Amino acid sequence: MKIKKPAFNLKKNAHLNYVLFGAVLCLVPLLIELGLLRNSYLTLVGSVIIYSVAAIGLNLLLGWSGLISLGTAGFMGLAAYISAYVTVNLKLPFEVAVLLALSIPLAVGILVGLVSLKIEGLYLAIATLSVSEILRKSFEEFGDITNGFSGKTAGYPKLLGFFQLDKYGTYLLLVVVLVGVMILIHNMINGQMGRALNAMRGSEAAAQAMGVHLLKYRLVAFALATSLAALSGILYIHFIKYTYPPTWTLGMSLNILSAIIIGGVRNIYGTILGVFVVFAVPDLFLKQIPYFGAMPGFAYIINGILIIVVIMYYPYGLIYLGNDMKKLWGKVKAKVKP
Amino acid sequence: MSNLDLQEGSVLRLEELSISFGGLKAVDNLSFEIKEKEIFGLIGPNGAGKTTAFNCITQFYRPNHGKIYFRDKHGKVTNLIDHPVHEIIKLGLVRTFQNVELIRELSILDNVLIGAHIDFKSSLLAQALKTKKAKDEETALRNEAIEVLTFLGIADRMLLPAGGQPYGILKKVELARTLMCHPKLIILDEPAAGLNDIETVNLAKVIRTIRDKYGCAVLLVEHDMRLVMDVCDKICAINFGKFLAVGSPKEIQRNKDVQAAYLGETEADQ
Ligand SMILES: Nc1ncnc2c1ncn2[C@@H]1O[C@H](COP(=O)(O)OP(=O)(O)O)[C@@H](O)[C@H]1O
Ligand SMILES: [Mg+2]
Repeated sequence: MKIKKPAFNLKKNAHLNYVLFGAVLCLVPLLIELGLLRNSYLTLVGSVIIYSVAAIGLNLLLGWSGLISLGTAGFMGLAAYISAYVTVNLKLPFEVAVLLALSIPLAVGILVGLVSLKIEGLYLAIATLSVSEILRKSFEEFGDITNGFSGKTAGYPKLLGFFQLDKYGTYLLLVVVLVGVMILIHNMINGQMGRALNAMRGSEAAAQAMGVHLLKYRLVAFALATSLAALSGILYIHFIKYTYPPTWTLGMSLNILSAIIIGGVRNIYGTILGVFVVFAVPDLFLKQIPYFGAMPGFAYIINGILIIVVIMYYPYGLIYLGNDMKKLWGKVKAKVKP
Repeated sequence: MSNLDLQEGSVLRLEELSISFGGLKAVDNLSFEIKEKEIFGLIGPNGAGKTTAFNCITQFYRPNHGKIYFRDKHGKVTNLIDHPVHEIIKLGLVRTFQNVELIRELSILDNVLIGAHIDFKSSLLAQALKTKKAKDEETALRNEAIEVLTFLGIADRMLLPAGGQPYGILKKVELARTLMCHPKLIILDEPAAGLNDIETVNLAKVIRTIRDKYGCAVLLVEHDMRLVMDVCDKICAINFGKFLAVGSPKEIQRNKDVQAAYLGETEADQ
């Protein structure tokens, strides 16, 4: 068996690459101002960035650690509501909101992690799903805080108490956060911690024999995934500026999960590619297709087919497609030359 | 723990070790002692309880009865039963697996680096921020892993994924992984299983050079007599979980009980 290297394998300059990637994302507002892109693309690309943060967290769990969670949406929603409540109702600074909206879901996440340490596979999936559903139900019920089904609004972030961001400013903040997350996670997974998570997934016996404390690393994986889901929720509420309970259903968690499978298990760029395919492609392309585009479930069907195709041909995600293209290109060149 | 529980010059002593699975006594009142830098073989026909004894020593199983004294890296004697499974390696006792346990998707080099897990001192935060200290630590251990792989003659493959490599190579990768922690005692579960004759001879050589270079003792759990007779200083034979005999390879070969146990197995096979 040969493992294909990912298309973007510029490991030596990984950090620089992430920054360049961020710089490219920063071009979106510019292109809109120049009239080359439609206005709506800002929200679209912004959403991809937001969901990518949560998806990278879930990939840490599912991809690297081999632990499943269906609770992503609940934690995103929880953070979104907390941040909205703290800034709008309590009128506290944005930074305080971030701190609370990160630490409360984190505490819940660690608790879930602790409880679920003894359960595996399907049972873990169901346990995390239950937590998420409890959270979603509370978004509906605690109307004083969440406004129930009418939904909750929030504003763009005001940094350090005086620096009010506008739409573009908030978008740039999203990019900065995403690039930061990419770099931090890249460093973690390419070091001792990443190897420990890999070992935990690949062989629990070997991991233990080599001194990996399974409980500790399971907790760490849960804590990181929850924090990133929460961070994603915070970005969501201050960029989209509105949330209501139906956003945070199992459907959202499953979309993020399928993004990982479609884009790239254990691959940071692949995760973002997957999020783009799942969350942006329907709006960008599928809806333009005559007749089918108007069907409400069309994107779901395409996603389902994509997952099956990817699992069959690219079990590590579409990001590895680039490699095959390169190889094909090499063959074509070799044929043309002589 | 008093140092009297383990004689000067010994690294491990099993004292009346027993474990049973639902009435079946897989290991029954087993005792033996391993000297420092000794290559010690634990042999017996299939199902004799070798792997079970092995798992009791490494705390993958909790024995029902008995003590396992071990002289750790700092010369302190401790009862292994008092330690959780992931702490055993910190004491200087490290193992391989009968059915190679490597991470297929990781490179050979990364697999070996998993063996250095306990040597990393940087916190998670330091790793995430890639501080100079964390970076230096990673580089130093990476170089050490390359050294070990060079010593075992497989450094040329270090960047290839472990999945799909031939069995002989995988066994060496597992050996390399154990060497990263500077062990006092390595225990190998049927290292010759699945190897052909040439690979087995090669393995015997490797085990001896490891002992000489790293100055550690080796406990070899084996079914295959070729390897054991060739490489061991001393052998303990068991059958049905019970002690049969202990002695030099020649003595064990001549021992009537051992012959009967292995003969019984060949007859049963036919
Ligand atoms: N986890 C277990 N549960 C139940 N029985 C076991 C377990 N492990 C081993 N045994 C039994 O203990 C006996 C010894 O097995 P084992 O230690 O694997 O033998 P060996 O390694 O010498 O071939 C066998 O009868 C086996 O069926
Ligand atoms: Mg065995």
